[in-house]
Amino acid sequence: MPPQTAGASAATPRYETQLLPNSTAQSVHSATAAEISGGRLVAFWYGGSREGAPDVAIYTSVYSLKEGTWSPERAAMTRELAQRHLQRYIRKLGNPVVGRDSKGRLCLYFVSVSVGGWAGSAVNLMVSEDEGETWSPPRRLVASPFFNIGTLVKGVPLVFSDGAAGLPAYHELLGKFGELLRLDPEGHVIGKMRLSWGQSSLQPVIVPRSDKEAVGFMRYSGDPPNRIVMVRTGDGGAHWSPPVRTELPNPNSAIGSVLLSGGPLLLAFNNAAENREDLSLALSADFANTWRIAHRFEGGSGSPQAPVPEYSYPWIMQDRAGDVHVLYTWGRSRIKHVRFNRAWLAGRP
Amino acid sequence: MISANTIAGLFGCGLLGLAAVATAIRLRRLPLRARYAVMLVAALAVFVPIGGLSIAACVRSVTGDLSAATLVLAGAACFTQLTGRTLIGHRDKQALCWLLALAAAFLYPFALGWTRFDPYALGYGSIAFVTALLLVTLGAWSARWYVIVFIVVAAALAYLAGAYESRNLWDYVIDPLVSIYAVAWLLAGVRRRPSNELSEA
Repeated sequence: MPPQTAGASAATPRYETQLLPNSTAQSVHSATAAEISGGRLVAFWYGGSREGAPDVAIYTSVYSLKEGTWSPERAAMTRELAQRHLQRYIRKLGNPVVGRDSKGRLCLYFVSVSVGGWAGSAVNLMVSEDEGETWSPPRRLVASPFFNIGTLVKGVPLVFSDGAAGLPAYHELLGKFGELLRLDPEGHVIGKMRLSWGQSSLQPVIVPRSDKEAVGFMRYSGDPPNRIVMVRTGDGGAHWSPPVRTELPNPNSAIGSVLLSGGPLLLAFNNAAENREDLSLALSADFANTWRIAHRFEGGSGSPQAPVPEYSYPWIMQDRAGDVHVLYTWGRSRIKHVRFNRAWLAGRP
Repeated sequence: MISANTIAGLFGCGLLGLAAVATAIRLRRLPLRARYAVMLVAALAVFVPIGGLSIAACVRSVTGDLSAATLVLAGAACFTQLTGRTLIGHRDKQALCWLLALAAAFLYPFALGWTRFDPYALGYGSIAFVTALLLVTLGAWSARWYVIVFIVVAAALAYLAGAYESRNLWDYVIDPLVSIYAVAWLLAGVRRRPSNELSEA
């Protein structure tokens, strides 16, 4: 789906950061967000006593674009609730991803595991007709013939030009590879396209430039050199180029990307080959052919350090007014929100 | 409220549970009335939720929804244990197991990301896949392997009815559990064969 046209942001450079509320969870991770009516963003992430613990729930909070504040977080989905609705034993919850389908409904995808580790994952979908106030019971997506396990999500959902929803997904059972799932309006998987294969690429993020053209980025988990993996399509996702390693480093960590209205293409990523201590913003004016580093969110000498210096899993998006929002895991203990506008971006070297 | 897809999935997993119980305790050794009583108790144990989840739901948590092949074999096992009569003959079962083993060898390694080719994607209404399945069915019909014909027809009808959460025809035809069973059954047959040939000689 082509990016929505956004109005001009204020001419005054704006760059703000804040931590999202977290009153209970010792560990949080994997934030996702979407703009909703009333000049608001809604964010989701998972949190609990530790990653993979039975008390991990999907939390949500709403941000007022006007006031610049986040509401207190509340649980949107718990393990017990998922178990009751899905009629399956659920051992733990994982990555949430939020987006919209062709009907404009808010769709929340989330990972759950019944047996084993993340290789035993499956993806579930909840739909909201009222901008996230209430949600349908979750339903299971079927994306693998092998006990339907090993499928996870991290990338931004899309809408194909024919109205089908597109969900970037990846597999972690035996292999590690990316796929783009096609979903019908009822949320059934009705097709899929393989973005990569083998054992070294995951967490695809797809950025469309038009109905036909898109670029995809993937986390790399193979042998060095550790670089972000990239694929392209020129026919609306029917065919994808073989994955290639870019010049940008990747310490086996998730990536966020968005094409701003009128360009450029932004990429939020860990700018290091071995750790997640540096979270940076790269910018491409030629749709991912060349890049320059525009900013360092974390890892610079001036930025306050989290107790655990890990800054990861960025989610980057642009609101209708043109401001850019980046949410990411800050030291595994909080979700951090960075908001900036085009004027600030234009002033970057 | 439980959806129709969930009910279908739970029924399949429950049937597998009943087949496993009946086979494990060798139900057909019991008197006829006792067989039905045991199956009734087992059905209650399998389908009635305890603490929010039934045993069928726990099985489904691991296996996912089960294919027509599994359900037909599980149903046949229940029938055999209840009545003492064999529903699927050796010849039919051998052909079915060979077909399942070949299909599994084609499907799973590629579906798990071995190469760019993904045969699982063919299950979303690919003409080539439907044609291949039709040819296999016609071939099975002409060879009088009727259990294969029955399974494919049952899978196709369930797929068209949207019985499960999946909209992929593969999921209605085959699953990993029945694939493992088919390979194990064929291997067991290979181990049995030398002694059979000796006795026939």
